[in-house]
Amino acid sequence: MAACVAVIAKENYPLFIKTIPTENELKFYYTVHTSLDVVEEKISSLGKNANDLRELYLGLLYPTEDYKVYGYVTNTRVKFVVVVDSSNASLRDNEIRTMFKKLHNAYVDMLCNPFYKPGDNITSKSFDNIVVGMLQQD
Amino acid sequence: MSRQGNRAGDPRKVNGELFTLTYGALVAQLIKDYENDEQVNKQLDKMGYNMGVRLIEDFLARANTGKCNDFRETADVIAKVAFKMYLGLTPVVSNWSTAGDEFSLLLESNPLTEFVELPPGHSNLNYSNLLCGALRGALEMVQMDVDVRFVQDILKGDNITEIRLKFIKRLEDAVPVGED
Repeated sequence: MAACVAVIAKENYPLFIKTIPTENELKFYYTVHTSLDVVEEKISSLGKNANDLRELYLGLLYPTEDYKVYGYVTNTRVKFVVVVDSSNASLRDNEIRTMFKKLHNAYVDMLCNPFYKPGDNITSKSFDNIVVGMLQQD
Repeated sequence: MSRQGNRAGDPRKVNGELFTLTYGALVAQLIKDYENDEQVNKQLDKMGYNMGVRLIEDFLARANTGKCNDFRETADVIAKVAFKMYLGLTPVVSNWSTAGDEFSLLLESNPLTEFVELPPGHSNLNYSNLLCGALRGALEMVQMDVDVRFVQDILKGDNITEIRLKFIKRLEDAVPVGED
């Protein structure tokens, strides 16, 4: 369903990126990288009011001709970015929200592994399996 | 203020996730300190032993089970009463040896290892070795010398976690040297 899933640390370096197998994976990496600016803009603009009123789901960050990019930021400034194919028009907002919720839960479970140091690249198999499940094109 | 009276349950109870995360932090720190899986296993066993010799008193005071007549009864008490009391689960007792002095405890889930994935270089690590030490220590205090070890471990890829207990000998109270 998704074309690419990325997890970005609060210092804005990537912890985890996975894309559907394609010849030009680099374009997804660029897309995720450029979407970081939009994410920063969204989280700074609402920072003036009470911080806890900001919702975690950021929604559609920006559309390109082929893809739509969605964002989600946790309260610890860890960002999840999902790139979906525009042609898959049946994907509703709710489904994207559930996708992010699943990602967030998987991330938290992985973080509870005592052998994972926060800030390291994510190598957990179970997290990987959950992301691969989301990437599968049906 | 009126809520305080409603705090139900045993004040010694603690959140399960806190327990799991604490144990995980303990093992991770031991690995950083010793850097050798066998050493870490030994330390966990020692720590478990120290816990076991104390836990047995608490267990005997709370469980009211009375004396076990043979090793089979001991196995049942360990699985049905002790594990239930301290970890909230009941392992299955199985794989009795022909002589009746060895058995296995099969655990389908292990609360100590929730969320844990062993990192690649540590395939020899017995993550829950504290359990083995605790069983050994507790049984030693009731005059049984038992060897406890892990045979299978879900963390290492098996389907089930299996702990094998082997009865070695009965311990007699040793008369201190010098007294007759």
